[in-house]
Amino acid sequence: MNEAPAFPLRVRSALGDERLHVALGRATEALRSRRSAAIGSLEGFDEVRDLARKIKMELLADLSTHLQRFEERLVANGVTVHWAETGADANRIVGEIAKSHAVRRIVKSKSMATEETHLNHALQREGMEVVETDLGEYIVQLAEDRPSHIILPIIHLTREDVGDVMHRRIGVPRTGDPQTLAAYARAKLREEFLGADMGITGANFGVVETGTICLVTNEGNGRMVTTLPRVHVAVMGIEKLVPTLADLDAFLKLLARSATGQKITTYTTLIRGPRRAGDECGPEAMHVVLLDNGRSRILSGENAEILGCIRCGACLNACPIYKSIGGHAYGDTYPGPIGAIVTPGLRGLHGWSDLPAASTLCGACRDVCPIRLDIPRMLLGLRRDTVREEGAPLSLRLGLKVFAWIAPRPALYRAATRMARALLRFRARDGWLRHAPGLASGWTRMRDLRAPAARTFQQLWKERKS
Amino acid sequence: MSARAAVLARLAAAQRTARLPTPAAAKPLVSTPRSVAECRERFARELAGLGVDCHAESSPEAVRARVSALIEGKKVLSWDPDQMPYGVGALLSGAARGSSPRAEQAQAEIGVTGCHGAIAETGSLAVLSGPGHSRSVSLLPPVHVAIVSPPDFCFTMGEFFAREAGRIGAAACCTFITGPSRTADIELTLTLGVHGPGKVVVVVGP
Amino acid sequence: MSDPVQLFHTCLVNEIAPEVGMAAVRLLERLGHRVEVPLAQTCCGQPAYNAGFHDEAKAAARHTLDVLGATTGPIVIPSGSCGDMVIHQYEVLFRDEPEWRDKAHAVAERCRELSQFLADEWARMPDRPRLKARIAYHPSCHLLRGLGVSDAPLSLLRAIEGVTLAEVKDQDECCGFGGLFSVKQPEISGSMMERKLASVAASGAGRLVSCDLGCLMHLGGGLRRQGSPIAVQHLAQVLDEALP
Repeated sequence: MNEAPAFPLRVRSALGDERLHVALGRATEALRSRRSAAIGSLEGFDEVRDLARKIKMELLADLSTHLQRFEERLVANGVTVHWAETGADANRIVGEIAKSHAVRRIVKSKSMATEETHLNHALQREGMEVVETDLGEYIVQLAEDRPSHIILPIIHLTREDVGDVMHRRIGVPRTGDPQTLAAYARAKLREEFLGADMGITGANFGVVETGTICLVTNEGNGRMVTTLPRVHVAVMGIEKLVPTLADLDAFLKLLARSATGQKITTYTTLIRGPRRAGDECGPEAMHVVLLDNGRSRILSGENAEILGCIRCGACLNACPIYKSIGGHAYGDTYPGPIGAIVTPGLRGLHGWSDLPAASTLCGACRDVCPIRLDIPRMLLGLRRDTVREEGAPLSLRLGLKVFAWIAPRPALYRAATRMARALLRFRARDGWLRHAPGLASGWTRMRDLRAPAARTFQQLWKERKS
Repeated sequence: MSARAAVLARLAAAQRTARLPTPAAAKPLVSTPRSVAECRERFARELAGLGVDCHAESSPEAVRARVSALIEGKKVLSWDPDQMPYGVGALLSGAARGSSPRAEQAQAEIGVTGCHGAIAETGSLAVLSGPGHSRSVSLLPPVHVAIVSPPDFCFTMGEFFAREAGRIGAAACCTFITGPSRTADIELTLTLGVHGPGKVVVVVGP
Repeated sequence: MSDPVQLFHTCLVNEIAPEVGMAAVRLLERLGHRVEVPLAQTCCGQPAYNAGFHDEAKAAARHTLDVLGATTGPIVIPSGSCGDMVIHQYEVLFRDEPEWRDKAHAVAERCRELSQFLADEWARMPDRPRLKARIAYHPSCHLLRGLGVSDAPLSLLRAIEGVTLAEVKDQDECCGFGGLFSVKQPEISGSMMERKLASVAASGAGRLVSCDLGCLMHLGGGLRRQGSPIAVQHLAQVLDEALP
């Protein structure tokens, strides 16, 4: 159920925010140019994309088998495996794990899956203290805000905003200097890392062959939360698997380049299980929660390929609509082109049908996607589903019904268009309209409408021939 | 029905109706083996791009002298001496270890490790967890010094996975470290050292 | 006698900018082609398709396939978006109807977007085009990414003596037209339009040229609303104007 204010309101609010507009423009341009430079550094980048796509699509076709094999390996590695049908189940399971280990203080590394399930709130309601440790997510948590970009959660905040939040919430002296603010955050979060009972992460990839969770970070908080506390819980969407370590290599070549323009992120961590005999640090217990929460439903349909997404955010940086409206306007965990498909897929189309409609189908997303996901195709399918399941405004439905009737009947089509042309020409001045009627009024809110011609091309053509 | 059974049943049903593209055959990743000299050169170049100081030393004595200079006057956290190459262990008798109390480890100003792999293509250090080579050493202190010897080199991560499959399988954790900890979350401004080491120094021996 | 060239003129050319169609005809004839216009054509159905009304789109598509299928020879389409619809989307639309899918395939194979067609044959153009103009080129998304046509329009513009191609920031970014998107999400559409027009203005161009009338109407309407002197033309019109 969509509880956010309606999409048009969110859009209007975003479009009116000039500062946001500047920030989004700057950030997406920087990330786009870094990505371009990075893919230039990998010979055969497009071939690696083809390989990654093939690996993911084949895996998804037999996901149940791979998941079972993954579970076997995890268990053999000493990991306790849990299955969560819904987000609420996942939250309950993590809460139970925490209670069973007498956990009170929890540190979290960035995980979109746990944002999807609203895990933090659920754990806090159980009386546990949960601290986000990714710098951007930490600020989001302090500000009681929501992330607006998959890779850069606080792209919508200025340094002054961040300074203000840190001053109000943790007493940091007022400053807008990013280095100073980061240093305060480092000190504060270090206390949290060292004192926490449990670390929660997501998983960028799960390697079936070895039963390994792969975490990709730049800050090192992923390492901190999986090394220092005595319990580690990883919440992983069931689609995040890759078959082998050799396959992982291909995906690692694509992920950082697509997301931030780095060849590889600072820390790529492969976790096989809790600490081994003789290890001096590392969790005593490790749990993996396999999360469905609608993924199996997405798999059952024609948008199944969207489960191949590796959450790089390249589509956001390429999308001109995202650039205009930012992440919050999408109203849920995943913004941008990926969100326009995943959100209706996970939450249902009802209440979310605005998202697939808010696109010009320009295809820039598909061009940059490392898995070559055909996002425009899937958006078109969701629009078709919207018409069938949610309906459409009466005027549009009637208009298109009339269209469907006259389009195969040239004589009627000409008659109808002749009338429309005459009406518009009547209202035009100097060949232009400033206020168009009906459906077209949205047009003239933003730009002038060129009046139709006095005579059609076909009329001119017939005259020329005679 | 357990959650596991329910999810697997839903997936099995979904797989029957899923409309997935069937992509054409794709070229597998291949990497041509490179010489140690090539690896060394590329590794150094990548480290330079990452802002990592790289010292190539031509003798074990020089390696030890370099490490000695780097740790001079600092509280040190290190891998166990018997895990260190080039006799560097002899310099670390007073250092805190992975077995030291956590509070002491957290006070260290510099962490000294070897490595289990050096990936030339990306300038990455591969470190496996295990007794005597604790993860905390390359994570807690603000400065990380890593000593690399030529047998550690491989060109790609894929080669490392293939070559070290056994050792990776025996370790709880395998981490690739590529440069200092960094974030650009605040207005895309780069800040180092949140939360891992903000400075990484690599010493490559003969 | 070789096959004539069939012109699928598109709705926007027919109703709004017939001069673009006439320019296209003259260009094709200069290259030695006999042009025919199947008069029963109406609409490719793209607006219905993009809005999610696939049954309605199919009604228009079937008629289009019947009309074009009854002709022979290459089919030229002066629009990247209608071109992409007929050349690629028809087969997707009729994915589960083998008979229509095959008809769509047969027609698609004969179709070329106008700039593609002209660029292939431009070496045979007997006259040299000349026009002094500083032109900002806007690659429409369906032309660029749908049909993969990026060089053809540029090579044609470069072939005109006197034309300077202005450098447009973020040139490949969508202009915000998107068909019905322009009226269903007018504010987002307007925001994207303003960004594009700012880039065009900053390029110092005197003319904005594209291969898609939808984009041209959207951007042209915006320029007019701004009171801008920048002229807006379809590629066919520029080439036609440049030839003696």
